[in-house]
Amino acid sequence: MEQKADRYVLNNGMVLLGEPMGGVESVAFEFMLPAGAARMPEGACGAANVISDWIFRGAGDRDNRQLGDALDSLGLQRSDSVGSSHLSFGGALESSNLTEALTLHADAILRAHLSDEQFAPARQLALEGVLALDDEPRQKVMVELRKRFYPAPLGRSTVGEIEDLERLRPGRTREVAKSCFDVGRTIFAVAGKYDFDAVCGQMESLFGGCPGPGSGAVEIGARAGRYTHIPNEGSQVHIGVMTDVVPFTGQDYYDIRLATSVLSGGMSARLFTEVREKRGLCYAIGARYHSLKDAAGIMCYAGTTPDKAQETLDVIIAEFRRLAEGIGVEELDRAKVGLKSSLIMQSESSGSRAGAIGSDYYMLGRVRPLEEIKERIDGTTVDSIVEALKRRPFNDFTVVTIGPREVRVE
Amino acid sequence: MQFERKKLSNGLVLIGEINPSAKSAAVGFFVRTGSRDETPEINGVSHFLEHMLFKGTDALSALEVNEAFDRRGAQFNAFTSEENTVYYASVLPEYLEDITELWAELMRPALRDDDFDMEKNVIKEEIAMYEDAPTFDVIDRCRTLHYGSHPCGNSVLGTVAGIDALTADQMRQYFARRYAPNNIVVACSGNFDWGRFCTTVEARCGRWQPQTVDRLLTDFKGTRESKRLGKPNLNREHICLVHTGVSAQDARRFAASLLSLVVGDDFGSRFYWELVDKAIAEAASMHFGPLDGTGIFYNYLRCSRAAVPRVTDIVTGIFQDLLRDGISEDELTKARNKVLSALVIKNELPMGRLVDLGFNWMYLGQYRSVEEDVEAIKAVRVEEVNSLIRELDLSRFTQYSLGPVSA
Repeated sequence: MEQKADRYVLNNGMVLLGEPMGGVESVAFEFMLPAGAARMPEGACGAANVISDWIFRGAGDRDNRQLGDALDSLGLQRSDSVGSSHLSFGGALESSNLTEALTLHADAILRAHLSDEQFAPARQLALEGVLALDDEPRQKVMVELRKRFYPAPLGRSTVGEIEDLERLRPGRTREVAKSCFDVGRTIFAVAGKYDFDAVCGQMESLFGGCPGPGSGAVEIGARAGRYTHIPNEGSQVHIGVMTDVVPFTGQDYYDIRLATSVLSGGMSARLFTEVREKRGLCYAIGARYHSLKDAAGIMCYAGTTPDKAQETLDVIIAEFRRLAEGIGVEELDRAKVGLKSSLIMQSESSGSRAGAIGSDYYMLGRVRPLEEIKERIDGTTVDSIVEALKRRPFNDFTVVTIGPREVRVE
Repeated sequence: MQFERKKLSNGLVLIGEINPSAKSAAVGFFVRTGSRDETPEINGVSHFLEHMLFKGTDALSALEVNEAFDRRGAQFNAFTSEENTVYYASVLPEYLEDITELWAELMRPALRDDDFDMEKNVIKEEIAMYEDAPTFDVIDRCRTLHYGSHPCGNSVLGTVAGIDALTADQMRQYFARRYAPNNIVVACSGNFDWGRFCTTVEARCGRWQPQTVDRLLTDFKGTRESKRLGKPNLNREHICLVHTGVSAQDARRFAASLLSLVVGDDFGSRFYWELVDKAIAEAASMHFGPLDGTGIFYNYLRCSRAAVPRVTDIVTGIFQDLLRDGISEDELTKARNKVLSALVIKNELPMGRLVDLGFNWMYLGQYRSVEEDVEAIKAVRVEEVNSLIRELDLSRFTQYSLGPVSA
């Protein structure tokens, strides 16, 4: 795998990362600002969501409509998102439009008007988004699961909480935005077709004058309860299960990552086979590794009609526990090939690569070469995985259900 | 990019677009069958068959099939629509031959009774899952309402009662009629060897027997009826409006696609500025859905129950403005840039390319390069979009709403 990595740090600490790709006309970029949901002050859950909309409602010399039209005319496929740690802005577009897209984003990040008039619709949309989540139990169960699994405030809902959103006022939200939009702790990633010298030159002139990094420590609290049921007269019981594992930065990361694949990497993996193929309990069943910087879990979703909910949960928990009893060489080999293949296939997409290098840098302080990831995947063995699972056994499960019936959790 | 094609004596068509610089390859079996090809007694059978293909052959069990895909790190799946059932996989080049061979084998499945019985449970869970997803559910219900007695109104999933009543024999008979080589296109894109691909497919599929396969092709202007269903677990109003569109074969499909972005792209469209930017609706979008010989536009709106009259007024106003004044040159330019950018990004991945490659052959019987599509989009003029608006009469549509029980 041939791979090049670009890196440049502005004087104020802002990190610029790049990965050039051959054979593509597109470029993808991402600004990661340390303004995610967990970094909002107490009582302001949802402020990050409001801010992510508000900053594009007029910035620099352009009003709301002019800024929207300018972004729109670039053909930018926007991919803005609110995460636990970061607010991310960016997207993919034809490379010739990159310069203009960066200029417009710099306006939104540094010179947003943040007017009272535009605050109202931004907050209203966030509120509506929270209410809409009630109608989509499959999504809502995972939001509620993260909230209860991660120690507060790491698992906070990225959409927000109704009470907090209703209390938000423009003045306070403006202060939050200003203190969190810390350019010195911002990571910028670009992948695809671009000229790194030109990008650095432009970013220097756009962001070089900003002050250096502030402090950004988040105080970690306790985890919430183990089982929560949210009644809903829908057709299915939507089950979310999560258990504690080593984070991305931990020594046993690759062992746990592969264990997760054995559990739910493909259609021959254990959960799909045991829950769907052998018992016909679910249509949708799957688990994935989910990591923040300081905590991580294996996160599982299953949706099933009420009569089958208890059996579904029991089979899922039993499959988590069975992992430490041993793994077959062939199932590990399949997990390895699956992970390596998806790694290479993702490397064909500029959007995937920009996201991956930004996230690597935040988590590890460096970008892992694809070759290193491949070697670490290949280096895991049945023994190393089982030992890692025994060092940190799955003792506790956080469970959330939404639907017409509760389940029993041991 | 190099395009290749071959037709076997039994009617099976092989097409490929080779991109030696790609890191992966994608292969797909495109079967021209879906819910519109079903009668009411067997509604849901196309989708059921899609599940059953993964259950294996006389020589392979379901678990062995899944293991065979996973052993090659394939990203694979299938989907069923009103008129197509598509099986696809994206793999590293060294595994393409194995995976092509595996799909070809699976196209002649065992269709065992016990697998059929077990899979009924899974299908019924899938139906239940979509009942809990109003965004999907309302669009499906509105399409059915719009098409009335036209077969494009048939549900893809079917109903729980219908699936309970379906027999394995009915499924086997449907399979025998529809999975004929002359009703299938095998497509491949990305980094692969065309000669070896042909040899693999021919060895597995060359002896399949052709059949007479037909499909009723009639256009339909839509019922333009309106319905609402209250559900106790909903708190938002989910509204779907379906307009008559143009077919997948119609030369105006590019204009139609641009029109849907001008009206209802997620960002920067008329819906966006009039409804979402002002936070009157939380979501508002329009999509063009071209089909075989017919076509629709579907619009999806989500808002509070209290906002419904206002949203309805605004949407009606947008459609009337469009009928009276048409779209502007500036709107078309922006929509064109968005379509072109999306097209380029999507086609950079072999998997993205496979979909366009396969469907162009399914619907048009022709190869179209990305450049040809780019040129066709660039060539669309404002007047073409505006005459389409007048001809389709955007002020008339079918409407379905899902929302809370109480007013």
